Amino acid sequence: MDSRQSNLLQGTLDLLILKAIGRRELHGLGVSRRIEQITQGTFQVKPGSLFPALHRMEEAGWLSSSWGESENNRRARYYRLTKAGQRQLGEEAAQWTKVAAAMTSALKAT
Amino acid sequence: MNLGARIWSIIRNLAFRHKTENDLDGELRAYVDMLADEKVAAGMSPSEARRSALVEFGGVEQVRQAVRDRRAGAGLESLWQDVRYGLRTMARNPGFAILAVLMLAVGIGASTTAFDWMDQILLRPLDGVTQPQNLVALVSTTANHAYVPISYPDYQDFRDRLRLVEGVAVAHPTALSVGKEERAERVWGELVSGNFFAVLGVKPELGRMFSSAEYGDKPGAFPVAVISDRFWRTHYGSDPRVVGRTIRVNSHELTIIGVAPPDFHGSLTAEAYDLWVPYMEQPMLNGVEAWMLRDRGNRNMLAIARLKTGVTLGQAQEELSALAGRMAVADADMDQGMGATLLPLSESPFGPQGLLAGPLRILMGISVLLLLIVCANVASLLLARATAREREFSTRLALGAGRWRLIRQVLTEILLLTGIGAALGIVSVPWLSRTLQLLMPPGQPTLDLNTRLNLHVLIFTAGLCVLATVSAGVIPALQSGRTELSARINEGGRSGVAGRGRHRLRSILVISEVALALVALVCAGLFVRAFEEARGINPGFDPNHVLLTQFYLATNGYNLEQRKEFCRQLGEKMMSAPGVVDVAWSDGVPLSFEPSWWEDLEVRGYVPLPGENMKIFRNVVSPDYLKLMRIPLMTGRNFTEQDNEKSELVMIVNQTFAQRFFAGQDPVGRHVRGFGEWFTVVGEARDSKYNYLGESPTPYFYVPFRQIYRADMQLAFYVKVHGDSGAMLPILRNKVREIDPNVTVFDAMPLQESVGATLYPQKLAATLLMILGALAVLLAALGLYSVMAYAVVQRTQEIGIRMALGARRIDVLGMVEWQALILTGAGLAVGMVLALACSRSLASLSFTDSAMGGGVTLAGEKVMNPLIYAGAAVFLAAVGALAALLPAHRAASVEPMRALRTD
Repeated sequence: MDSRQSNLLQGTLDLLILKAIGRRELHGLGVSRRIEQITQGTFQVKPGSLFPALHRMEEAGWLSSSWGESENNRRARYYRLTKAGQRQLGEEAAQWTKVAAAMTSALKAT
Repeated sequence: MNLGARIWSIIRNLAFRHKTENDLDGELRAYVDMLADEKVAAGMSPSEARRSALVEFGGVEQVRQAVRDRRAGAGLESLWQDVRYGLRTMARNPGFAILAVLMLAVGIGASTTAFDWMDQILLRPLDGVTQPQNLVALVSTTANHAYVPISYPDYQDFRDRLRLVEGVAVAHPTALSVGKEERAERVWGELVSGNFFAVLGVKPELGRMFSSAEYGDKPGAFPVAVISDRFWRTHYGSDPRVVGRTIRVNSHELTIIGVAPPDFHGSLTAEAYDLWVPYMEQPMLNGVEAWMLRDRGNRNMLAIARLKTGVTLGQAQEELSALAGRMAVADADMDQGMGATLLPLSESPFGPQGLLAGPLRILMGISVLLLLIVCANVASLLLARATAREREFSTRLALGAGRWRLIRQVLTEILLLTGIGAALGIVSVPWLSRTLQLLMPPGQPTLDLNTRLNLHVLIFTAGLCVLATVSAGVIPALQSGRTELSARINEGGRSGVAGRGRHRLRSILVISEVALALVALVCAGLFVRAFEEARGINPGFDPNHVLLTQFYLATNGYNLEQRKEFCRQLGEKMMSAPGVVDVAWSDGVPLSFEPSWWEDLEVRGYVPLPGENMKIFRNVVSPDYLKLMRIPLMTGRNFTEQDNEKSELVMIVNQTFAQRFFAGQDPVGRHVRGFGEWFTVVGEARDSKYNYLGESPTPYFYVPFRQIYRADMQLAFYVKVHGDSGAMLPILRNKVREIDPNVTVFDAMPLQESVGATLYPQKLAATLLMILGALAVLLAALGLYSVMAYAVVQRTQEIGIRMALGARRIDVLGMVEWQALILTGAGLAVGMVLALACSRSLASLSFTDSAMGGGVTLAGEKVMNPLIYAGAAVFLAAVGALAALLPAHRAASVEPMRALRTD
């Protein structure tokens, strides 16, 4: 993430990762690319932030990982959402929507 | 966060570290490879793609570390790293580590032992009873506010009339003779009221305790006994059929009705008793006449009461005072001017508590002092090493370590030191605790000390550890965090900008150590002085070359007449033995551990002031007693054989008695009433010491053995010889055996030893304080030495220059010594102020184990003795100069050229 976006809260990154993985199984680079895709290039997550986040969320029980084969037959670690992760995604998405709506209405006011 | 998942993660991360690291490595590499693949697919050459991928990735190690830092268990892991690092550092400087650990072990061990003693004796609630917090001691108070035991009739009144108290029980500790005559052994037991176990709430291990069946007041009606668990195991082999068997106590058969639980030892904390018998059996057991049980003046019972739930101590005290006031009026002949009060059990003036409370408090204080000195020393050593480690810390800071991490590192190292020191100290505590028995004089029941470490003590030690860590480490730790980077790395030498500040800190530490050591020395000195003085006091009689023994003829079933006859026969036989100068016998032994008994007197022609205490100490003696003791008569005559059961009752009084009641006039011919009869005074004896060597002149009187001796009195037998009194013992035993082979000679010892026994607590306190004081001085010297040694090393270059410029060796020596003396002097100044302040509180400590004694205190001029302060100061100054001698010598032997070349 470049300097302007680097003060995004840790929770936002978590939400992005959860959403990016969704119902699929992705490896590290895949997650990074997907986030870039779904945010239309606004957020580019560097490994220095991505991997700590991935591992942390795995320890929290929201993601589970396993070794697998990538497209080019490379051995990579794949992540998917657990049930708790799904729940967490739903909760955080709802929370974020609420906050965003509130901010929008606040900025519209005169 | 899911707690279970988190804990599992921590375990997995710590246990399978290797695998986790490998996995992460593989994962990151895969990322880089796939990124490179993407770029190749976009048209880059493989090598350029790879390089670009790596640049985009950022530092691999940084990412790895970022993951590691946020992993679960990262905190624990870094703590573990600190510990291992600390251990490695200590291994590199074993001398410092060993020294620090040993000092901490001594300081923590001493403090923990002192606390353990205090906990056992003063803080421990009574064992084996229910709800000990509701139990209080009930004591009578005399007109001059001294605490005394209560009498049985008083107990009955309290028992029957107090409302706010659930129950009152009494106990009379005594030695009993258990078993057949030839193989009789002395067992310590308590003669107790019937409700004793009920009030204390003791549940039987086997059989039953005394119950309402034994509550009556009929003498001789309850020939039963309860034995202790220890006695049951050692004498009956834990036989479950012991209930119902008989036990022979003082030649009478009693039935064992129960065994007390293992943790119950009696009504006096920390003393172990083995046998409990109803007090109503005393006439049978001790040959005491039944009417004595009804004598209100016979105050020999220790009372415990249980407060009703919800009643405060204050409320119960009020009720008791009111009742005692009424009793004092109703039974004015015995109880006039007396009151009663309740005390928390831990403040009971009887038993080991009363005896040891003062000395233990002092010991605790000095131990803490010692620990403080130890901490100061460790801190000083750490500061010295901090200077040496500056470069190491600076490098770590430059490599990106947080300051907090460095501080935590130092604290962890210190905690390691204190932890190991504490572990060493704790190991020795159970062994040291046993030595408390030495504080108790002979002839008392053994102390029952719980030598297992209990929770209190462990918590205390842990607290000490933390305290020591903080006080020793906080300054060095904070200092390490404040290391300035460039200054450190660029400095070529060992001293830094912070070096001077550190040196000042170390100097302050040394000054405080010296001050504390002075306080310790002064306290020890005061004690030793008081002890020496007490020992040097002329007792007023001559205890040398006298063999003292005790007889318990009641246990052989002797009645009064038989006892007197026994004494007369034994006296005759001993007088005919070679080398014997005098023979005598009496009820009490002067200056022994048992307090002297007193009698309420009425003096014809003397009107006592209101509230005046007419209880005067006395001894019941054979005619030759005064002669044996070499106590001269000032006027009148001594007792003779003619003063017997049929003749006029006579008495000899001492000078203070005559001074007080006869205004210094000749007391011969005057009349005094006591023991229910009128006596004529026939002589005046010179004053001597009766209860404590340090007592002020006390009125005293003697009455003839044959006229006054009662069956509940003790019997002490004295034999004065030309040479060694101990050699007389076998002869005495033979003569006793000639008269009656069943009689045992107890407690044989030179009278001098018995006289010295009153000084036991003081003697041991003085000894312990000397040891602690010496340790304190040693530590302070050590601290001073290390500071001076370090300073010399720092100043090697300077010294080299001085010598090159013409300073002689003696000048350098003087310079170092002068520096040391300044430090020591400052410490002594501070210490003096502290010592003077402390000595005030010392002055009020007293050494007495029961009331009505002139308690010895370190009061008045003794505390202000300038010799002790001056002596301690001079001694410490000398030690300081000596401690600096070696560094000074090293400084003086510096070769200038070598010094100038050193880095």
